[in-house]
Amino acid sequence: MENIRVMIVDDSTFSIAVLKRMLQKDGIEVVGTALNMSEAIQKAQEIKPDLITMDMTLPDGDGIECSKQILNHLQDTKIIAISAMMDEEIIQRARKAGIKGYLQKPVDQTDLDAAIERLFEGDELYGILKNNFEEAFKESIFSFLKREIGGEVVIDKVADHPMTTCSSGISVAIGIIGRHDGRLIMDMSEDTALAMTRKILQDDGQQIDEAINFLSEFTNVIGGNACSLLNGLNRSFGLRVSPPTVFRGKDIIISIGDIMSESFVIKTDLGEVFMNVGFQKGVVEWM
Amino acid sequence: MDVTIINPFIASITDVMPQLGFQNINLKEQSEKTKKIVASGIVLTLGIVGDKKGNVAYAIDTEGAKQIASIMMMGMPVEELDDMAKSAISELSNMLTANAAINFSNDNIVVDISPPTMLTGESIELSMSRDQVMCVEFDVDGIKIEINVALD
Repeated sequence: MENIRVMIVDDSTFSIAVLKRMLQKDGIEVVGTALNMSEAIQKAQEIKPDLITMDMTLPDGDGIECSKQILNHLQDTKIIAISAMMDEEIIQRARKAGIKGYLQKPVDQTDLDAAIERLFEGDELYGILKNNFEEAFKESIFSFLKREIGGEVVIDKVADHPMTTCSSGISVAIGIIGRHDGRLIMDMSEDTALAMTRKILQDDGQQIDEAINFLSEFTNVIGGNACSLLNGLNRSFGLRVSPPTVFRGKDIIISIGDIMSESFVIKTDLGEVFMNVGFQKGVVEWM
Repeated sequence: MDVTIINPFIASITDVMPQLGFQNINLKEQSEKTKKIVASGIVLTLGIVGDKKGNVAYAIDTEGAKQIASIMMMGMPVEELDDMAKSAISELSNMLTANAAINFSNDNIVVDISPPTMLTGESIELSMSRDQVMCVEFDVDGIKIEINVALD
């Protein structure tokens, strides 16, 4: 948490002293303090701090109005409300004003650390996700296919994929939701889906409806397992998968270029599987 | 029909579309469908997790999507559904679903949403995550927008 420049806004010099000590313990530089709204607005514009701790009651206004005015000029500054007063209504108002978090006084050092960490760890976390998601999804699909289908399983990364791809017949989309949101798309032909279903269930009578159910569950398992692997790397990811939506038809075009994603073609003895997975950075809206 | 599931989406489209410059928003039809839905044109689906779990799929025909993209891009003519127009429609689905999520939170139901997945084609057969899908059809300045919601 080094290199974070903080300004403290509080009408009590005692509270300022307490917060200052806590922040300095974390190696955070306190670059300014303000005792009222007008001082806060003026100093914030001069100092341009990374973070402001904002009291909700100020002698010449309230912390919400003060935050709004500061954020009008400084979009990159993050504000955490720290106040003795805390109820649902004020939390909602704070959130609407663009305040990123709310802590109640007396503030606990651990809570303060956690709030700041979560606000500023985004970039680092995204880096970890970016470096690891490919392996997690490849490992997940490889072990599933090896175990359930057997034979040869070869995963080839698609060097540069275009903005769109044509479906081979059946496509499944799963939303990934967490600290960074994403999406998993799995696509294969009806023949491949049928062959895999028949092999796994050891029943040649399986029809297309079962194949759709298989592909839906297959995508769910790959997505779920990969997200568990990633959550294991850092719990802050908090990745969860939404239920699958299956699309079936001729000449369906899937858009894949809208978020940072990677595509893979997985060759098996029963046919090819196309997998596209990606994440978007997003910002912390509220903690 | 479980209105608590569909109402946040109805409120969302009624709130969001006028902000984008659309004038007449009319709810045409509200129905409950079975799992399989057929749609042509452009289909967008977003995942939902939290107190409720499932997905939502928006269906708009190609002509309608072009008109919406044009209005969203300040009246710029949209001859074909290119990347820019698709991005506008994708953003619309995101806005509508995020707004519905806020409406859910007003009922103390907290949900998070995923980025949209967009598909285009004719007679796309959709299977959603549950057997009963709530469906509402809107007429927005003459454009048909269909919203299918499967939530548990």
